[in-house]
Amino acid sequence: MNTLNVQLFDLTTLLFGGASGTYIAAMYGKKETMARIGTWICIAAAVVSTAALGVRWVESYNMGIGRIPVTNLYESLVFFAWSVNLFYLFVEWKYKSRAFGPFVIPIAFLTMVFAFTNESGIQPLVPALQSYWLHAHVITCFVGYAAFAVSAGVAAMYLLKAGQEKTKARDGIVARFPSAKVLDDLVYRAIIWGFPFLTAGIITGAAWANYAWGTYWSWDPKETWSLIVWLVYAAFLHARVTRGWHGTRAAILSIAGFLATVMCYLGVNLVLSGLHSYGG
Amino acid sequence: METASDVRTDNASFSAAEKRDRVKPASIRIWNFLISVKLAIWILIVLAVTSILGTVIEQNQPPEKYHQVYEDWAYNLMDRINLFDMYHSWWFLLLLCLFTLNLTCCTIDRLPRVIRTVRKPKLVLDDAMGKSLSLTERWKSKGDVPHRAEEYKVALARVFAAPKVTEADGEVHLYAEKGVSSRFGAYATHAGIVIVFIGAILGNIFGFKSYVNIPDGKEASHLDARGGKQHIDLPFAVRNNRFWLETYPSGQPKKYASDLSVMENGREVLRKTITVNDPLVYKGVWFYQSGYGQEGGATAQVAVSRQDGTPVGNFSLAPNEPVRIDGYGVVRGVNYEQDFQGNGPALQVVIEKPGQPASALWILQGRPDLDRGRNDSLAFSFGGLTAKMYTGLQVAKDPGVNVVWLGCLLLTAGMMVSFFLSHRRIWIRLAEGPHGKVEVTAAGSTNRNRPAFEKTFASVLAEVRKDPSDTEKENPV
Repeated sequence: MNTLNVQLFDLTTLLFGGASGTYIAAMYGKKETMARIGTWICIAAAVVSTAALGVRWVESYNMGIGRIPVTNLYESLVFFAWSVNLFYLFVEWKYKSRAFGPFVIPIAFLTMVFAFTNESGIQPLVPALQSYWLHAHVITCFVGYAAFAVSAGVAAMYLLKAGQEKTKARDGIVARFPSAKVLDDLVYRAIIWGFPFLTAGIITGAAWANYAWGTYWSWDPKETWSLIVWLVYAAFLHARVTRGWHGTRAAILSIAGFLATVMCYLGVNLVLSGLHSYGG
Repeated sequence: METASDVRTDNASFSAAEKRDRVKPASIRIWNFLISVKLAIWILIVLAVTSILGTVIEQNQPPEKYHQVYEDWAYNLMDRINLFDMYHSWWFLLLLCLFTLNLTCCTIDRLPRVIRTVRKPKLVLDDAMGKSLSLTERWKSKGDVPHRAEEYKVALARVFAAPKVTEADGEVHLYAEKGVSSRFGAYATHAGIVIVFIGAILGNIFGFKSYVNIPDGKEASHLDARGGKQHIDLPFAVRNNRFWLETYPSGQPKKYASDLSVMENGREVLRKTITVNDPLVYKGVWFYQSGYGQEGGATAQVAVSRQDGTPVGNFSLAPNEPVRIDGYGVVRGVNYEQDFQGNGPALQVVIEKPGQPASALWILQGRPDLDRGRNDSLAFSFGGLTAKMYTGLQVAKDPGVNVVWLGCLLLTAGMMVSFFLSHRRIWIRLAEGPHGKVEVTAAGSTNRNRPAFEKTFASVLAEVRKDPSDTEKENPV
């Protein structure tokens, strides 16, 4: 029997699945009402998952090992999905467009499905993680990751849209996207939010490592991959103001940056070995 | 968002540079190469791609380990290009040097220009500028120039920023700006990166990293420098009073702790219990809880009593080390079992009395009275094993670390400024027109986020022209 927080996260997974389906159906069926339902499901998912995080936090205190629920792979995955959803809702509200939903919310859904296959119990903190730096480090990193996920989703839309604008074709789903200029702008805007957070995440990680081990940088695979992500987005930011590099190439860099982010977040733990072996 | 005009400026400087390239000598061509944004993009991408190698190939492993994985030729090739310690290889450091050079040259090339723009802003809106700025508006206004100018000045100061007033040829020019600091954000970020590198170099030259194991009750002041050849002698000693570990009920580790004392001239000057995320610092040297282990074999605690149960004393038995009891014989601990036939921890002792054959027996930790049934002059009971532990301390001194944090602070702050602020400028020119009217031209410019500035510009102008007599509008030319 799963505890209440896990049941709430399972419900969140279903809601993300529903929202993904609704958004995609709305995109194909060109039904604004459907898309609006998608938004409401996302809001419901935001409420349920926020409650689940809170419940999980309280449950950890009831077990006598109280700590913030972002300390193992399961918790970091649900926190990532939570961040993506909130960041998405902010973008939808800010840009008054639901066209991004089918490209972003499935990322949250797949993340939750992956979380579902992982051990969901509340584990006590190993000594290495018992630090206040944990909060600052994990939260900054994940806000950054969420922003990059949104940016990559929109970058994919940009590539489709820019391709269509070149051929002068004006039909299908792509025609309903916001203009390439708006998409390009949004790819950039998501990154200028994500980039300072990633930077802060790397710096807080370095500060923590220095406080726990006496080295702020040791070229551990996780550190190195976070630097790779940082370098790719730094390249993106410079590409955007350089002739021959803005537009399509910048969008490709955004997608490459997100792939590097996924590698940094999951790949390093699943494939490589290093100091972050406890997951997340 | 960088505005279209900024993109154009950048492109213009590129094409200008490219044109110059065809006629200018090599030194200029090299300079133009070093200051180019394209070089920056390529360095960033090459750094990203090469960094992947070191995460796939495990770094700094013993050669035998690599031989298990790679063929000889592959091993030799990879060793030749330092792939087993690539982040410290000559070519990776060369890339970082090129990166630093690019950052520095860009700053030298562009920063003076930016400082000039900021310190000597164009206070006067002339016709050429009015045409080059894409955000302009013209209108005619009743009244006289000085009166209107004063009114606009007050309004600008209220809703935007206090303007500078310039009078020339009977015209009045107002110039107001906001967010000048955004011009410097990128330079702060770039300087921050270079400062981080400087901090890292300082740490490498003047700092050290080391590791020391100190047994319970012992002290250490002599360290082996990691990777280096020389030793480090601290001007003080660190004593490990005790190491201990705590576990959760599930058996997972909860806490590693060492009770440490800093000893100087034989006196204790500082005492602190360190744990994994809570180091000890003394005179710039940091001691981190990093490992632990058992020092030598464990000793068994044995209590001795008479047949009637009166205690006689306690002693410790090291493995196979004989302990003599006067008037009785010699006792040795020879064996230990965690769970002896389902009865819990037990110690096997051998008793040798003068003139008698040696006898071996098990004493149980959970049954302290059991041995009294043996009908001997003394009875033994087992009080459990105590292990002598040592603590493993990471020791580091890094005088460059605060420089690194300063660089980090600067680069983050610069990033925020350059992403979220923009240098917004508004000019208003008032000139005497025909029929006693005032001809007004307003222009605006921003270095990024143009859509937001367009709204600001419109609302500022609306505020400036609040006076109902100030209505006649001309379409922008």
